[in-house]
Parts: sequence; structure tokens; C-alpha cells
Amino acid sequence: MSFNFDLVVNSFPLLLLGAGVTIKITAMSVAVGVIIGLFVGIARICRVKPLEWLAAVYVDFFRGTPLLVQIFLVYFALPVITGQRIDPYIAAIGACGINSGAYVAEIFRAGIQSIDEGQMEAGRSLGMTWGQTMRYIIVPQAFKRVIPPLGNEFIALLKDSSLVSVIGFEELTRRGQLIIAKTYGSLEIWISVAIVYLVMTLTISRFVAYLEKRFATDDRH
Amino acid sequence: MIDIKGLKKAFGENEVLKGIDLSIEAKEVVVIIGPSGSGKSTLLRCMNYLEQPTAGLVTVDGIPLDGEAHINKVREEVGMVFQRFNLFPHMTVLENIMLAPMKVKKIARAEAEKTARELLSRVGLAEKADSYPPQLSGGQQQRVAIARALAMHPKVMLFDEPTSALDPEMVGEVLDVMRSLAKEGMTMVIVTHEMGFAREVGDRLLFVDEGRIIEQGVPKEVFEHPKEERTKLFLSKVL
Repeated sequence: MSFNFDLVVNSFPLLLLGAGVTIKITAMSVAVGVIIGLFVGIARICRVKPLEWLAAVYVDFFRGTPLLVQIFLVYFALPVITGQRIDPYIAAIGACGINSGAYVAEIFRAGIQSIDEGQMEAGRSLGMTWGQTMRYIIVPQAFKRVIPPLGNEFIALLKDSSLVSVIGFEELTRRGQLIIAKTYGSLEIWISVAIVYLVMTLTISRFVAYLEKRFATDDRH
Repeated sequence: MIDIKGLKKAFGENEVLKGIDLSIEAKEVVVIIGPSGSGKSTLLRCMNYLEQPTAGLVTVDGIPLDGEAHINKVREEVGMVFQRFNLFPHMTVLENIMLAPMKVKKIARAEAEKTARELLSRVGLAEKADSYPPQLSGGQQQRVAIARALAMHPKVMLFDEPTSALDPEMVGEVLDVMRSLAKEGMTMVIVTHEMGFAREVGDRLLFVDEGRIIEQGVPKEVFEHPKEERTKLFLSKVL
């Protein structure tokens, strides 16, 4: 067995390019996921039965089926219905974002339910509507509590984004595959790819730990 | 000011209020006492629909509590103070007081702040405007909670065991604020275990047990000459 360090060094710029794309789609998917998740999470507990039910179906479906299948659904199955090809970039962000939204919804729901009931009662007793109380009182407090689980979800999403390589989207994993196709350097490239992922996930977890600490002191409890 | 007819409330199988009829006049200070589990807090919480009655009708200042719009309207006019304060911990004391007037009554920030500062001086906490609730003592938090309720210019104030969660040395400062409110003519309904305060400040005393009003009258009378056996038994334990 020989380990070709030159191959690692030479392919590094290309892998970094792929890593940049991975970060980009993760960030976009996270944004989509958080927005969906916030609304679906609130819908889960809004006491309007049809909305609660719809939100539950959404969460169950996207947590109960593999992300890979969801990517195929968006990229291959959806165009059969619409008759239009989907840009892989849109498909990747769409599938990852919608999938993440289901997990984020559960995180927000748990965060909101962890806030003392007295907060809602105080808001309502002052004449504020349910929506106003959610917006100004409950959600801002819940946000601080969901930072750690949200951080975990982002890390999971960053790793799962490797799945969009199957629709030919050139993120980090796909870059690795392409380089190996040319150089046959499986050992060197897959180790390099793994290390680049590791650096990214560790960076996020450090950042989340920092945020958690900052908000903890802000809470003044 | 508050009119309650045939009020019943059940939690599942457990009937907590078994038919309450009660009328409270403007400027009246009504104190509700009774053993724990008697339904006195539930009765109070039905007055602004934090608990939804199973049967009966509550009317506040001529507005029947019979729909979301009416309920929100009534809540604007009925302030509530909780046992556990329920201040908003992520906002400063000043913001706690300004929030509802700005969001519900659409009052401009400058005016809301002016009112909030006045109310804070009234409860003796002007210098705490920029503190966060968790930085304050229990007694201070409860005084802020009273100021927060007053900021909506309520016609009625409901107090749900406002001193029960306080250390003994802080009870006085909260009762002082309530006493001055009563003197100014605020309509108040107070659930409390502070018998001395009930006697001193109350215009009328209600003794509630097992979901019914057992006895009511002028506090001094009820304390000194209770008519009902259950009232006598309860008073002999707490006085």
C-alpha cells in the first residue's frame, strides 16, 4: 500500500471548491428549514385542528422517509407531474430544506412547549392575542433554548447534503468521486474528503457552543 | 362591574366550581378565601377566561365573555396579577410594562414609556427600569407585575394569591401597593391567605369551599361571627 501525498495536495483546491458548494447548499437549506420549521412547529400546537393535523403529516412524512428518496422525488418524480426539468441546485436545496424543516419543526415545538405556561397566561391576560404572545413573548424565549439542538440539526444537514451528489450536484462528495474517477486514488481522496467534512462540522459545533454560552449569560438567571 | 351567573367549571370528571352566582360592584374590594382546592383560584381565573367555564356566563363591565373578540376586549380592561409573577424574563422591567399598551392599544412608544416610568415610581421601583426580572427580588417582581397590569388602565384588578410565593419579609411591600390601589378606588378581586389584609382592606369577604360560595359578608363580621360550620372550621385553622 502506498499513500500518494502529492495527489492529496494537488486535488485539495478542487475539494475546497466542493466544500464551498457544500457550505452554500447547507446554509440555504438551513434557512429554508428554519423558516418552514418555525411555522410548522407553531402549527403543531396552534389548537386549530386542521392545521395541527397538516403539520403532523408533514413532520411524519419527511422524518419517516429517507432523504435520498425525497431527493429522487423532487428531482425525478416531480418533473413527471410538472413536465419541467428541475435545476439540480433548486432540487438539492428544496429537498434538504423541506426535510430539515420537519426536524426543525419538532425542535421548535419542544422549545415552545418548554416555556412556562404562565408566560402565555400573562400575555393573554394583558389582552394580547395568541399570535402576539407567541411572537413577542414565547418564541424569543424559545429561540435561546433551541440553539443547541438546532446546531446538531445543522451539522446533520451538512453531512446529509453529501446525498445530493447522486443527482450530479458537485458538492464535496461528488468532487471526490470525480477526482477518483480520473486518478483512482480512492484511499487518498476519501480520507481527504472525510477530513474536510470533519473540519466543517467541528467548526459549527464550536460556534454553537459559543452562541450557547453567550445567550446563557444574557439570560441572567 | 363583574356579573357571574350559574358558573360551573369541570376539569374532566372533577367539578371544581358547582354553580357560582356573584355580582361585584365598581370600586368594591372583594377578598376570596378558602382551603386549597376549594376552587377559589379557578373562580378568579374564570373572570378573565383564563379558564373557560363549563357552564354559566361571566359579564364584565357590560361585556359578556362569549367570543374571542369580547374575551380580548375584557382582558384589556381586567388586569391580573399571578402568584408566580409571570414577568417576561427576556425583557427589561420597562419593556415588560410597555409591551401590552403598545401592541394591544397601539400607544406610541414615547407615551407608553412615560406611563411605564410613572407606574414604576408609584410601586417604588423607578430605579429598576432597566433591570431584567430575574435580577429582582420576589417582592420587587410582584410590584413590577402590578405596574404591568396597571399600564393597561384596567377597570378591575384580579389578584391570584399575590403574596404566596414571596419570602415573608417581602409580603408587606406588595400588600402596601395593593392597599394604596384599594384606597384610590380600584375594583379588586383578591384570592389570598393573608387574613389580616383581607380584614383590613376588603369590603366583602367570600368564603369558598368545594366549588361553592359558602358564606359572604363584611370581613369583620365573617371573621368574628361566622355563621356556617365549614367557615368556622376553616377560620379556626387559619386564624
